[in-house]
Amino acid sequence: MRAGDLLARLYLLALFVFVFAPIVTSMVFSFNSDRFPTVPLGHFTLRWYETAFARPEVWTAFRNSLIVAVSAAALSTALGFATAYTDFRYGFRFKQAYLALALLPPTIPLVIMGLAMLAWLGRLGLSGTLTGIVIAHTVMGAPFAMAICRLRLQQMDPALEAAAWNLGASPWRAMGTVVLPFCLPALISAFCLTAAVSFDEFIVAWFVSGLNRTVPVAILEILQGNVDPQINAIGTVVFLTSMTLVVVAQLMLLRRTAR
Amino acid sequence: MSKRFDPYPHVWRLPLLIWQGLFFVGPLLLMVALSFWVVRNYRMEPAFVLDNWERMLGREVFWNAYGVTFRRAAVAAALASLIAFPASFALAFRVSDAARRWAIFFLIVPFFTSYLVRVYAWQVLLAESGPINAVLGFGGLGPFTMLNSAFGAMVGYLTLVLPLVVILQTFSLAAVDRTLIEAAWNLGASPRATLFRVIIPAAKVGLILGFVFAFILSFGDFVSPFYLGGSKPPTLSILIIDTTKSGQQWPRAAVVAVMMILTLFAVASAAVGAAYGRRR
Amino acid sequence: MSKSSFAPTRRGLLAGAAGAALAAPMLNRAWAQAPVEINMLAWYGHAEPDMVSEFEAENNVKFVPKYYAGGDNMLALISQSPPGTYDIILSDAEFVQQLNAAGYIEEMDPSLFPFDDFWPEYQKFPGHWTGDQLWSVMVRFGLLGVSYNTDALTREEAMSYNAYWNPKVTGKVGHFDWHLPNLGQMSLLMGNRDPSPFDISEEAWEAVKEKTLSLKPQVGGYFDYGGTFAALKNGEMLAMAGIGDWITGVLQKDGAPVASVIPEEGGIQWTESYSIGKGSQKQDLVVKFIQYMLSPRGQVRSIQMAAYPGLSPTKSGWKAIQEANPAEAERSGLIEGHEQSPIKLLAEKRIFFRDIPRQQSLEDWNEFWSDYKTA
Repeated sequence: MRAGDLLARLYLLALFVFVFAPIVTSMVFSFNSDRFPTVPLGHFTLRWYETAFARPEVWTAFRNSLIVAVSAAALSTALGFATAYTDFRYGFRFKQAYLALALLPPTIPLVIMGLAMLAWLGRLGLSGTLTGIVIAHTVMGAPFAMAICRLRLQQMDPALEAAAWNLGASPWRAMGTVVLPFCLPALISAFCLTAAVSFDEFIVAWFVSGLNRTVPVAILEILQGNVDPQINAIGTVVFLTSMTLVVVAQLMLLRRTAR
Repeated sequence: MSKRFDPYPHVWRLPLLIWQGLFFVGPLLLMVALSFWVVRNYRMEPAFVLDNWERMLGREVFWNAYGVTFRRAAVAAALASLIAFPASFALAFRVSDAARRWAIFFLIVPFFTSYLVRVYAWQVLLAESGPINAVLGFGGLGPFTMLNSAFGAMVGYLTLVLPLVVILQTFSLAAVDRTLIEAAWNLGASPRATLFRVIIPAAKVGLILGFVFAFILSFGDFVSPFYLGGSKPPTLSILIIDTTKSGQQWPRAAVVAVMMILTLFAVASAAVGAAYGRRR
Repeated sequence: MSKSSFAPTRRGLLAGAAGAALAAPMLNRAWAQAPVEINMLAWYGHAEPDMVSEFEAENNVKFVPKYYAGGDNMLALISQSPPGTYDIILSDAEFVQQLNAAGYIEEMDPSLFPFDDFWPEYQKFPGHWTGDQLWSVMVRFGLLGVSYNTDALTREEAMSYNAYWNPKVTGKVGHFDWHLPNLGQMSLLMGNRDPSPFDISEEAWEAVKEKTLSLKPQVGGYFDYGGTFAALKNGEMLAMAGIGDWITGVLQKDGAPVASVIPEEGGIQWTESYSIGKGSQKQDLVVKFIQYMLSPRGQVRSIQMAAYPGLSPTKSGWKAIQEANPAEAERSGLIEGHEQSPIKLLAEKRIFFRDIPRQQSLEDWNEFWSDYKTA
């Protein structure tokens, strides 16, 4: 191996260490017996998992997160697909503005989204409800879903849909028999990814949630309150959940290149 | 198709308009309106006064926080771009396609993985009694104060943006036409000239996008400056939270928010201009 | 790379499964009985198991907390929620008047609460009564002074607020991020004792501001409850303004070298009181809970609350802690005639009730605080 290659690899390794160090740290300390994280480590323990998951409110938070993530992911995916399909199939006036509207949400700082959402949802009587969080997370997730579906549609031969029409299929039938099956991996991928976005989001959820905590909001409140290694325990479960979702999302997309 | 109304395209086009109109544009417009409202006895009342704007923009606090936030975001974006570049370069030119795919794969994962918990982990790692200082201590160094400082906040920003910047840079570098590079070599260009005259201009769009996204994310981030920077000094996001906490001053928080959005739009359009503009 | 990041992952999965198995019975029980939910708005820790589990079990209720930090934050949270959201509100005493003025709380029946058992000093707490109408019941209190790392400063050095300017703690002075306790301490340092450090003229206020700004070079950060805790524990901060035993008391139990003293210039008393949220449907249960908390059983829990300890305003509470935990009674001075007894400190005018600014608006103080933070 050339010296340059070795150097490049070491640099990459260092970068990955930086990126993954906090994740690994959190996992390691979730099994560490000491109340305050110091080196050298104490002994191996499951105590923080036991204390964290013996609390019913932690379970409630997980249940809330599950409901919110699944609903927001379903809505984001539907919305993202419809938008991606529109972009793929149709040209129309103000399309640039239409696409900007679709893709803008991730550029708005979360604190501002939270502020604006709470004010707005409060007027609609939805603040402090899970529905409110679902709405906010759908706004934030839809652009990701749209991007994924758009990439997949790009790979579809436009003639495919036209061929279905020529064979007498209505647009609806063509959608159901040609486009949707072709996009299925992207839909699953978008669902997983937007679920992960929702499952991790805490600032907007914190503003909007009221008494209905989701998991990251519960973590934030422990961080604001009596910090203890339960954070690492809950955090590790959250890491595993979102990592699984993101990995599945990517595998769904990569599968087609393999085929 | 005849002139008969066909619902089909509208079924796909309208959901976004309705949803984003109701739950994205609506909230943001309300926030702009909010910035002109008044607060009496901890209750907001619709009005049209410029008082909030005058009070916020007339205060040194706001401009200090603005300066800090802008500077830090710019530094974070520049640092992230510089640190990412050798890695992206290596990923684009020095490893196999498969290795590159896996690397991207493993960079996408943390981007969507609980930022809050990762920042808390940095709090543990960087503490005066934490692992990093312990390791440095064996070498007779430190302990260094890394938390509650600009350094701490910067580590947090990089945690947030670095994976994304590497991904964007790698995509654009990998897309650079190899024949272009070979041509430069054949014409006798030095490696340095090839890099600066050929590769970087060709990958300009991705490099600028990486910078801009890093800027946007750092500019709006609340967690790192608060938990790793010790609110010292407060950034605009912290100012927003502080303002909402204190006596229900939402209209003033809205002023800060509107200023932030305006800034981000300005930066983003400048960047888009820089990325795509000169091609014509 | 991929290998190493997966190794801990598998362990985590097992642990998660173990946690799930452990908690399953708890979950079943919770679903079987469907307890009445009581929404509580409080400082961190008041609805944690060490405070409420006994009452929850006896009455088949479940507390659902929303935690805040600072009275301004509390008012903001109430005003953002529909009326009737919170059944019970634990607020700082100085904010009861504001809660009342805004119509956020219900009137209470004094005959339901054991005021005879209160130390006389606390029976008619300022702001809790309008004439004979009762709006809020004090449940616990504590003292704010100089909190410091005992390895860095001596007790003598800490006996004045000037300790914050000590070169030994440069860059290591932390602030609890709320204007009232911090600026109250600065006001005491400036000698504003009569009638109260919170009732000061414009001139005195200017002096307080100037003095506060001179502390800036010493300051290492501004912290919420959790941050204060962590910063003192791991030695990031060596002195902390705006807090007292409510934080260092917990850390001492964990063996951290920290302490709090009431300095020469005097200390500030924080006071926490329960109110009934306007429009609550569960007022009877809330009254029952407040009665429980004021009983000796409840007071012993409150004195030793895991999140942060508090002192007891009732005579029976003092007796109960002397029996249940003599060491804690001694440590916190809950013994008649004890030199640290809060009643004695109050009589000697070494303690002042924390209050909202009387001659300036809350907003003025708050605005200065954010100015100070960015200065």
